[in-house]
Amino acid sequence: MTKQTGSPKKSDPDAPLIEAVQAGQNTLFSELVKRYEGALYNFGMKMCGATGDAEDLVQDTFVNVFRYLKDFRHETKFKNWLYRIAASVCIKKRRKSKFAPDRELSLEEFLPADEAAVDLKVPSWAALPLDRVLNKELRGRLQEAILALPEKYRVVLVLRDIEGFSTEESGQILNLTPSNVKVRLHRARLFLRDRLKSYFEDA
Amino acid sequence: MPDAKLPHQHCLDLFGRLSEYLDNELDGSICRSIEAHLAQCEACQVCLATLRRTAALCREAGSQPVPEDFSRRLRALIASLPKR
Repeated sequence: MTKQTGSPKKSDPDAPLIEAVQAGQNTLFSELVKRYEGALYNFGMKMCGATGDAEDLVQDTFVNVFRYLKDFRHETKFKNWLYRIAASVCIKKRRKSKFAPDRELSLEEFLPADEAAVDLKVPSWAALPLDRVLNKELRGRLQEAILALPEKYRVVLVLRDIEGFSTEESGQILNLTPSNVKVRLHRARLFLRDRLKSYFEDA
Repeated sequence: MPDAKLPHQHCLDLFGRLSEYLDNELDGSICRSIEAHLAQCEACQVCLATLRRTAALCREAGSQPVPEDFSRRLRALIASLPKR
């Protein structure tokens, strides 16, 4: 676990609500659900790819939060703790995609095979404005590529590039050092980049 | 990646650090050294542009609404849990 700096409680927008629930106002728990069910559902969809699995992830996460919230001591922001539980639920369920065997990604596998494979011109998918590139089909391809990532890389990419957590926060959520988060994120992005390149080259 | 003006090793070194560069997680002196290399290496410029776009596409990948039926079931389940 990365060492915290400052007081997470002071900068945590959820702290007043958490304290109220901890003080016995159980009905306010529904406000926590309202705040985070959408984000957790999308985290589940990116991690698992199927509606039923994403729903299971959200449900199990909130049941665990309900059960253990009394023990939460604001050592980190509530949102980080919530995602730590969600990531743990996800990993425990071992919902591995058949397209994503658990394996290490090495930097070398993303290097161009030879000089002929080196691109010297920025391709249109990386040069055009984003809204001219991103359409429904590409969203689908991107989702497939994310699901094809080995789980330990996928979870880092989803936390960093989709959910918007910092390197330090992602490390806290996954119990990884910041260096490990950076290494996994970089390899995950390279993996996706290669998939996107292939998609556009084949199109 | 080949580079007519700089040693190939510069490209390899940069290849391993492109995400940290994109995320502003490197010291100023390393950034300056990377920028000096990028200014002269088209292959690394392409690498950086495609990686930057990959991360941007992830950020804009969009979200899906929670199914209403599930949302109702979730609230009912939580309401049924023993009070603590």
